[in-house]
Amino acid sequence: MKRREGAAGLLFLAPTIIYFVVFFALPLLISVYASFTNWNILSPKRSVVGLRNYQKLLADPKFWIALKNTFYMLIPIPIYLILGLLFAYACHKKIPWERLFRVLYYLPYISSIVALTIIWKWLFNTEFGLVNYALSSLGFAKHDWLNDPMWTKRMIVIMISWKFIGIISIYYLAVLKSVPAVYYEAAKIDGASGTQQFFKITLPLITPTTFYLAVVGLIGSLQTFIEVQLFAPDGGREYGVATIVYYIWQKAFQSSQMGYACATAMLFGLFILILTLIQLSVSRWWVYEGE
Amino acid sequence: MKKFTTFSLIICLVLLSLSPLSAAGKKEAAPSDQVKLTFMGWGTDAEIDTYRTMIADFEKAYPNVKVEYIVVADNEFDTKLQSMIGAGSPPDVFYCMIDNFMKYTATGNLLNLSQFVNSNEIFERDNVWDQIIDLYRYDGTMLGKGDVYALPKDVSVFPIFYNVDLFKKAGVVPPTKENPWDWNDYLAAARKLTSGSGENKVYGSGAYSLESAVWSNGAEFIDQETLSTVLIDEPAFVEALQWMADLRLVHQVVPTIAESGSLNDYDRFKQGKLAMVGAGTWSLGDFWQNCDFTFDVMNWPVSPRTGKSEIWFGSAGLSVSSKTKHPQEAFNLAAYLAFYEDSQRTAYQKGQAIPMLKDMAYNEFATLDKDPAHKDVLFDVLMNHTRVASQSKTFTQDWFAEFNANVASVFDGSETARSFTQRMKPRLQALLDESIELSKEFSL
Repeated sequence: MKRREGAAGLLFLAPTIIYFVVFFALPLLISVYASFTNWNILSPKRSVVGLRNYQKLLADPKFWIALKNTFYMLIPIPIYLILGLLFAYACHKKIPWERLFRVLYYLPYISSIVALTIIWKWLFNTEFGLVNYALSSLGFAKHDWLNDPMWTKRMIVIMISWKFIGIISIYYLAVLKSVPAVYYEAAKIDGASGTQQFFKITLPLITPTTFYLAVVGLIGSLQTFIEVQLFAPDGGREYGVATIVYYIWQKAFQSSQMGYACATAMLFGLFILILTLIQLSVSRWWVYEGE
Repeated sequence: MKKFTTFSLIICLVLLSLSPLSAAGKKEAAPSDQVKLTFMGWGTDAEIDTYRTMIADFEKAYPNVKVEYIVVADNEFDTKLQSMIGAGSPPDVFYCMIDNFMKYTATGNLLNLSQFVNSNEIFERDNVWDQIIDLYRYDGTMLGKGDVYALPKDVSVFPIFYNVDLFKKAGVVPPTKENPWDWNDYLAAARKLTSGSGENKVYGSGAYSLESAVWSNGAEFIDQETLSTVLIDEPAFVEALQWMADLRLVHQVVPTIAESGSLNDYDRFKQGKLAMVGAGTWSLGDFWQNCDFTFDVMNWPVSPRTGKSEIWFGSAGLSVSSKTKHPQEAFNLAAYLAFYEDSQRTAYQKGQAIPMLKDMAYNEFATLDKDPAHKDVLFDVLMNHTRVASQSKTFTQDWFAEFNANVASVFDGSETARSFTQRMKPRLQALLDESIELSKEFSL
């Protein structure tokens, strides 16, 4: 009986397991192997080159520039976490038009990134853009957002923050609604102010969600690619906008060096893993896991 | 336990995020007694419609062949094609940009079409311009020689389009084939054509073609004999680059970098706020629809140093996979799509391309009652003033991309052409060396 149940269980799991093995585990193993070869996809000629890809990679200044730019893309995380929480809190506190706001926050998240980019390109247009119009009417200088890598990066940070505030606030709203009301009632009886309640009850109780969002956000941000490709198709002047994933894509499909690209992906994957483990170990100091 | 679950979850998330390989293509179903071909391309909605019609006609003409048409966005095309080749299941017939042609041919992915071209039932070899057949030849080291590995999907030239109304208003007489302008004439005309300010600002010229300036001045990006030495710091190159930059910086007849970023020269031209712009013949349809002024074409001015004028010409090829199980049918499809009369006719009538069939170009297209009036200039440019761009002749184009990604610093005046080219030369040389190494490593 037990055995049959076990078999049935496996059967139910099979689609997911097969999917995982075929589309993730196997390609990953192939990538590990490919990272030690000079594979270029197009040519049948292929040989093992040992650590050559890794050595070349570490000596390439563009890799380091891209790494630096990738770190820059972490800036949106605190921005959207804080703003997302504030928006969620406002919705939670039953402000008027709550439903309307919820829909509005969520819209950017489900919109096509290409459509968003076109709109943002117009917003940040140097001569005709609304942003520069607003800046100049407030007496600030106009910025050439799209031609200067530094400003393009800032624009991407603003755009990503804006895009994610909605989904983040939905997560927070869900968890805020799950905080038991008794805590607040008890706190009120003890004379705690609204601010005190927020910092002493709400914030600690939602730390597991914050932690989850921070981890997922970190992994997602480190993989920023499509924004770069759309705003600076050539990576920007002096490679000023390119990120690591952009670098990987460029090496794999434009420079015909798939082996090298795999090596970069491996190294970068290792890097994300280490960062995530650090996050995990630091988490015990601040994430509330219940009694 | 909870810690462990979280930990495993995170490891999974990280693993899922890796691997550039997870996007590889699907395997096609095996053909039965009927021949089944796959054809992959990109295009605007109008082009896709035209292709669907052509494919339907092809299937009627060859009832034993069924074609599956795969459409991919143009910016994802090459990634997808490479993934399919990597997965061992390339389409039978596919587009191949001229820049990628050498890479695909050298690595043995394209079928040699020479014998099919010589004995084909679909088009007359003599009725097609030599230039565009020769474009897709490769002899193992050099482009333009040897056997044919693709048929042209289209051909486009890149002349200067000008606003006839603005020319008349400023009293500028356009050049002719017999009396071409040189750079000084061009600048003088651009000065006369530049007027107004603010909302009413009209610029004389759009950004000048870098390739035309360099080649016409007798300079080269890389040496043409061996394609192995970067020559961008030679005086003739530096002079050409600085001349282009000065049109913008010193003479102010070209919109600034910031202005071009806000409204590109092409759109500015369509709005009647820019008098001369370099544009491809694929723009004709757009101009017909959106320009409320008369426009015409001229060849690029000659350099005072050499007295000659050169410009690149563009094309995408239709190639057949070397892995195809049905070479003859696949070639027929490629040839049908390339030289099908009705599609050539539709393409020029919609202003997407000029015909590749000589008789159609000279008889129908040349007498078409639409701008530009001097369509013969287009043929003159194609036959006498065009060449294949240098980056199309190398295995990878990274060296050229590096130049283009950074050249804006000359155009916005943050450095001179001399310092820029001196600074960039070693970088470009390293990338060109890498391209040569890759070519040696992977060519069959």
